[in-house]
Amino acid sequence: MKSITKTLLLASALCSLAGIAPAHAQDKRIKVAMVPKLIGLSVFKANEKGAIAAAKKLNIQFLYTGPVTASAQGQVDIINSLIARRFNVITITSNNPTQPAPALERAMKQGIKVVSYDSDVAPDARDFFIQNTSYPAMGKAMVDSVEQYAGPDAKVAILSSTPDAAIQNAWLGAVKTYMTAHFPKMTIVTTQYGESSPSKSLSAGLNILQAYPDVTAIIAPDGAAEVGAAAAVKKLGRTGKVFVTGASDPDSIRQYVKDGIIKASPLWNEVKEGELVMNVARLAADNKLKPNDTFTVKGLGTYAVKNKVIVFSKPLVFTAANIDQYHF
Amino acid sequence: MNRFLPRHAWDRTLAIILIALLVAFCTLIPGFYAGFGGTLAITDQFLPFGFVAIGLAVVILTGGIDLSVGAIASLSAVIMAILTKSGGLDIWLAAVLALIIGAILGWLNGIVITSLRVEPLIATLATSFIYTSVATALAGASPPYGFGKPFGVLGNGTIALVLPVQLLMFIGIAIGFSILITRTGFGRRIVMVGYNRDAAHYAGVAVPGLLRKVYAISGFMAAFAGIVLASYYDAVRPDMGNILLLTAITMVVLGGVSIFGGEGGILGVTLGVLILGVLRQGMLIAGFSDMVTTMLTGAILLVSIAAKNLLSDRGFGYGALLLRLINSRKQEATPPNT
Repeated sequence: MKSITKTLLLASALCSLAGIAPAHAQDKRIKVAMVPKLIGLSVFKANEKGAIAAAKKLNIQFLYTGPVTASAQGQVDIINSLIARRFNVITITSNNPTQPAPALERAMKQGIKVVSYDSDVAPDARDFFIQNTSYPAMGKAMVDSVEQYAGPDAKVAILSSTPDAAIQNAWLGAVKTYMTAHFPKMTIVTTQYGESSPSKSLSAGLNILQAYPDVTAIIAPDGAAEVGAAAAVKKLGRTGKVFVTGASDPDSIRQYVKDGIIKASPLWNEVKEGELVMNVARLAADNKLKPNDTFTVKGLGTYAVKNKVIVFSKPLVFTAANIDQYHF
Repeated sequence: MNRFLPRHAWDRTLAIILIALLVAFCTLIPGFYAGFGGTLAITDQFLPFGFVAIGLAVVILTGGIDLSVGAIASLSAVIMAILTKSGGLDIWLAAVLALIIGAILGWLNGIVITSLRVEPLIATLATSFIYTSVATALAGASPPYGFGKPFGVLGNGTIALVLPVQLLMFIGIAIGFSILITRTGFGRRIVMVGYNRDAAHYAGVAVPGLLRKVYAISGFMAAFAGIVLASYYDAVRPDMGNILLLTAITMVVLGGVSIFGGEGGILGVTLGVLILGVLRQGMLIAGFSDMVTTMLTGAILLVSIAAKNLLSDRGFGYGALLLRLINSRKQEATPPNT
């Protein structure tokens, strides 16, 4: 018993030593997990690709693990297992802001750093949040695309993921604000949901086109929804009459961009975002990042931290001209 | 009843598997044994499945199925949250009302099944769609969350520092249901209806009334699971119950309850819950991905149903054939003139 106590004391002494010796912190190998909303989705795979590349440079033992379906409960199970396995940093894009929060708070209490990216969790449940792109910029990019191809008096339908998806609602809020401010004649005729499922999104897209024949544009700010909307337009032969825009990875929409159904679709560089996530994870683990701060990452640029939020980049708009440069 | 593989043998096998799993995980997986209390706390992560499984076991014992448990769990939890957040009701009172609503939803399932003569599979599938839609509509764009510390005790709390509240409730409920099934007339009628519905009918059992009660019990337990989940996550969502159904069915079947009804007990289901839960959490802590654990859950469901059917002493199971063979040998071996 005594020897155990001694070992524990020694270990904690060593730990605290490591804590006050930041000069060597970069040398210390850390374990960082990346938890996507679900595994097997290409946008998240693109994050993983960038993260793996960055992890090598940053002396990070990297793990990519997520639930099979887009369920927050599945993410909680995984967070719990990562706590038990003593990871140093958990990075996560959450299926919803509330459910994973208690588990993440538990992790933070045990000294694990939490970095959310893409879709945020409750602010108390993470150290930093990497926002893909500023919400107003994303909303502007989508509305501008509608205005350019369907005109300033377009009748717009919205096809989103779920009624309570945090990021989609933030974008749609920005869409509405920008639309009423700049194109008052543009109207939103309906809002429907495809639950991020390709088949449900397709049938929701068909519903929209059949129920509202005067719709000239669909804004679908979700990977599955944009593909579903474009597929519905193609299926009903409305190419050239209905334009689709939204947020999706280039691989999924390439075909529809070439068909002319999607003319301009904003997103951001998911691979580079994965790199940034790992860099922030490293900085957080080394306690080198303050809630309001700036930092520079070689090859990515300089970023500002404002109230623990880091905006990753301006929207990257995919068009027929540039889409073949991007593969993810 | 003459059984090739008596229930006790099944239960005993499960108990041995559970102990073997615990010993193996504690010694082989770093991080699984986190002190006595730490390891017990793992049960918080899967016991909501167990609450559903126990209610579902009663339905399956009658030869029925309840596919709406996940939807009832979500809807009851959402109603509870709205009653307390928008209605200003005390959370505990709201929780009790949600339990009653869960029982009513289950009872409605029973009405559809017995009065409208709809197969349980189809009836509860249909009501699950309805209940889910209502839950989604009620929850709206920002489902309620944040129910306060005292309510969190239900899902995360411990008594005497190490004993999880969920585990204590689960043990209490399991004992209660075990007594209900084995020691009361109601429980025996449930098993009898499952074993042979016609025989039960001719023996004077009011089958429709019994089934309605059974589905109400399942609805009640589903609502209970929903409330515990709400406490555990400190949030409700209209889809939070979705994942409960398939795992709960697997737990029931692994626990030795025949999917055709009339066979099995609550002790087995309790062991099934613990085995599947510990296995999944242990594998996640060991670093296997969710994909592997989900695949394994499917495999366990298949193997346990197949084992049950093959070894069954009913119909054409290998167990029954083997029994007949042994019996006929015995008769041959007995000399005719004694």
